[in-house]
Amino acid sequence: MSTEIKELKYSTFKTNVKYSVINTKVHNVDGIAKVTGRAQYTFDIKLPGMLYGKILRSPHPHARIINIDTSRAMELPGVKAVVTGKDTLGIKQGIWRRYEELCDEQILPLEKVRYIGEPVAAVAAVTEEIAEKALDLIDVEYEVLPAVFEPLDAIKKDAPVIHEGVERNVNVTRHIEWGDVDEAFAEAEKNGGYIREDWFRCSGQHHMCMETRAAVSSYTPEGKLTVWASTQSAYYTQALLAGVLGMREGDVRVIATYVGGGFGGKFELDAAMFCSAVLSKKLCKPVKIVFTREEDLVATKRRTPMYYYVRTAMSRDGQLLARESRMFSNGGAYTGMGATALYLSGFFHSFPYKWKAYRYDGYRVYTNTMPSTSMRGFGAPQAMFCSEQQIEWMCADLGLDPYEVRRKNAHTECYEVPGQAFIQSCGMTECIDKIEEWVKSKGDLGPNRAIGISSCGFMSGGIFNWFDSPYSFSSAVVTINNDGTVELHVGCQDIGQGSNTTMAIIAAETLGVKIEDIKGHSGDTDHCPADLGAWGSRQTLMAGNAVKMACEDAKKQLLEFAYAEMGLNIVYDLDIKDRWVHVIARPERGMKYEDLVKKAIRAKDGQRIVGRGYYTPHRKGMISPAYSYMMQAVDAEVDPETGKIKIHEIMTAHDCGQPINPLGLVGQLEGAASMALGYAYLEDLPMDEGKLLNPNLVDYKVIRAPEMPKTGMIDIETYEAEGPYGAKEAGEGLTNPTAAALGNAIFHALGIQMKELPLTPERILKALREKKEKEANK
Amino acid sequence: MINDFNYLKPGSVKEAFEMYAEHDDCKVICGGQSLLIVMRQGMVAPEYLLDIKGLDELRYIKYDEKDGLRIGATTTHREIEKSPVIQEKYPVLALMENKLASIQTRNWGTIGGNLAHADPAGDPAPVLIALNANIKVGGINGERTMPLEDFFKDYFETALEKGELVLEVHVPVPPPKTAVVYQKFNLLDSDMGIVAVAASITLNGDDTCKDARIVLGNAAPIPKRVKNAEDLLKDKKFDEKLFEEAGKISYEESEPVADIHASEEHRRHLLSVLTKRMIKKAWEQARAVA
Repeated sequence: MSTEIKELKYSTFKTNVKYSVINTKVHNVDGIAKVTGRAQYTFDIKLPGMLYGKILRSPHPHARIINIDTSRAMELPGVKAVVTGKDTLGIKQGIWRRYEELCDEQILPLEKVRYIGEPVAAVAAVTEEIAEKALDLIDVEYEVLPAVFEPLDAIKKDAPVIHEGVERNVNVTRHIEWGDVDEAFAEAEKNGGYIREDWFRCSGQHHMCMETRAAVSSYTPEGKLTVWASTQSAYYTQALLAGVLGMREGDVRVIATYVGGGFGGKFELDAAMFCSAVLSKKLCKPVKIVFTREEDLVATKRRTPMYYYVRTAMSRDGQLLARESRMFSNGGAYTGMGATALYLSGFFHSFPYKWKAYRYDGYRVYTNTMPSTSMRGFGAPQAMFCSEQQIEWMCADLGLDPYEVRRKNAHTECYEVPGQAFIQSCGMTECIDKIEEWVKSKGDLGPNRAIGISSCGFMSGGIFNWFDSPYSFSSAVVTINNDGTVELHVGCQDIGQGSNTTMAIIAAETLGVKIEDIKGHSGDTDHCPADLGAWGSRQTLMAGNAVKMACEDAKKQLLEFAYAEMGLNIVYDLDIKDRWVHVIARPERGMKYEDLVKKAIRAKDGQRIVGRGYYTPHRKGMISPAYSYMMQAVDAEVDPETGKIKIHEIMTAHDCGQPINPLGLVGQLEGAASMALGYAYLEDLPMDEGKLLNPNLVDYKVIRAPEMPKTGMIDIETYEAEGPYGAKEAGEGLTNPTAAALGNAIFHALGIQMKELPLTPERILKALREKKEKEANK
Repeated sequence: MINDFNYLKPGSVKEAFEMYAEHDDCKVICGGQSLLIVMRQGMVAPEYLLDIKGLDELRYIKYDEKDGLRIGATTTHREIEKSPVIQEKYPVLALMENKLASIQTRNWGTIGGNLAHADPAGDPAPVLIALNANIKVGGINGERTMPLEDFFKDYFETALEKGELVLEVHVPVPPPKTAVVYQKFNLLDSDMGIVAVAASITLNGDDTCKDARIVLGNAAPIPKRVKNAEDLLKDKKFDEKLFEEAGKISYEESEPVADIHASEEHRRHLLSVLTKRMIKKAWEQARAVA
């Protein structure tokens, strides 16, 4: 029995509204402060009497802590405090707060260390040098335990137990299923359909933020704690810190005005935040901890490495019939955001196609390596690398047109992913059309060079509340001053992606003022409303809706007054555009915005105009309120003698609904291309017995300016009814297709199938040798 | 974190010699592009740093049609890259420098510092050895000159005696009908080479090979000449099969070490491919020169 696919026959509409601010090229509102060095990052914070903290880390991948003797370190002049797990409440914490068993990480553990680099003690001293010296004077006695590093080893029956009571080291499992998969495969077989199965291995990746993890904690005798933190969510940091310190959330203030990158790695509690807070609480003095690049590489978290088994059935004419996949991810030592990545990888592995029957079983397995977590794309880049290559190979095996096959199976607007998600706007088919056109216009590219394609989609924020937040997902407060300037308070977090600019654009558009009239306030839990923060590509849609609602609220108050003031017939509509309050039907009839504000405030007994807005998704399925879609083409050339790849160009047809800021969009496209290309052929975290072999920027290779290919975007216009002004995500999704598209380019250039990331010259040459051997044996 | 050290800044070469002789546990810094990395990793922690970068006496590029090229030790990579006379007379040097790390590094790093550091993955050494260069070193007891080829002894070890500094590189005028080329293999443009090959080909009037110098970079503890491959080419005509043979010799005679960037086998393979390609390229260019 196969599930009925529900397809509603109405169309998401496109507006013809002319915007004044939206879709104009707005420069980053923080840009000047940043390029002139005025922007104060956590790294720049210096407080009177501030001490410097350093963290002692485990040299063992798995060991019991027998004893920690800090007395020699305390004797070193200049050392003010040394703390270990015994100085903490010993609370096991995690970001999946609703699920106790997934709160599995004690920063400064009491009993065991589970990966090399795990913090075991922290020192505060008058200088960084003294703190570092003190680390050598801490004596830790360990009982070294057997360790395991790969998920497929850790899941075996006799593998070392990493967390007591966790059978076979399986941390979380995820099952996604719709339709009758077994029957669909049986039917496919009976009808002569094509069934193919492959194994893939996807590597990890470091987030590589320009700003390493950093925190300055200042606890004062009044019992209040202020923490400057490099975080993707000031609210999460506030709540998690309060939890582990036994404080009330309101007594913890987190400030994150400027953050030098996050990419999914900075919304959990980290050791810089925790250890500096514990030390500061003990000393009632400010303590600063800044990770070195090596610490950041060795002892934070990483993109989840995944092993994927994929079995797909396709009819001879290219109809996708069924898929079953199993995935084993290397969870590392702790849960982190890995549980979400496990789910999202399996969900986006089905994208962007209408599977009648689909099954995914994901297993997140603990190992004695640094934990894995979310990273831009949230499990989807791995899922697409497997899915989009396999579909391309199946098309080639069957002699089918890969564009036609993708078109035939693609999501369309108002489609329900059975039991999972409801898709409103969807420009997938148009993306395929445009990329096909572009690729065909390039003509013959010569030997060893080809264009590979990959389609995909992504969510605009998650409908999950594993954090158990009592607050709306996003909130905003807008206050209009007597001179017409606007204070915009948002909880959404700018981490360099430009959300402050996006929110200012939405506010200016809604209120009908200029971008310079908006004064944004973000990244401070004392002054900004709670918001889940910058992850899952959620802020443009969710915080954007909250800002739009707050501004509509304030604007309504102004227009009510204007209505009375202008004595209009009830049938007329008023609006404000470019600071001109006017009758829509007769734009010349109106008044100045500044004059209206003054009068309105006087009429309100001197109160400033305050608008409130909030957003929490409802009745939008289990995943996300809206989905972006795209197809990407990568033009690549491979030297068949050395295996070296040269990327000539990347073109993306992209449906992100209504673009808010074209400059921000280009920034996201280019940033995603460099990150995703790095993942595809360069970046890796090789380890030997749990020890990272490239913990520095000499040996960990990231794409630099000379390697950056030309990139381009074809904007596919759709209107998303759930998004502010029709907008959807444009942040993470663009990292999803690249590794798969490059793999497909290599497939078409050389006829080899790459199943392991990154796509290194050695792996390419190995595949070429195997291909030659196979041909010789024929 | 870099350990504390005492900083010595001489005002002249003479003073540098004296200071170097006076202080034990002293490291010379001349740019610091290599030294500071190992100091930050804690692998080197000297008590004294002798900074000779400011010694303008050693900062020069001189060319004479008979004597050839002389480059002072404190000359920066960027100065070599941008020197019109080097671009004209020794284009391979300028091209090599153009791919040596970033512009920031080239603006500050020096040729003397690079050679004295003796990293087998360094770019200038294989090219200069292919160009038959000599190196002048000196200290309080006087100066001496040796073929650059004899300067390198082991990983990060040179023929410099205690108290000696690198002073100058001398590149003779190449024989007629000579071309020198260089290529490194890496994944990031301007990154250190995983392996590298420099080749110099000198042709006779009848386009047969008169002389060849083939030098492998990062293929052994020191820049490695492949003399068997050079001999193979002598008196021969242009023949791609022959170049492939020469590549096989590089494959066999190299002693590369595996690391996370490439296995030993892959490095040998790359050396054979680059050897073949560089010989062919140098040969074709030598044909075109007078």
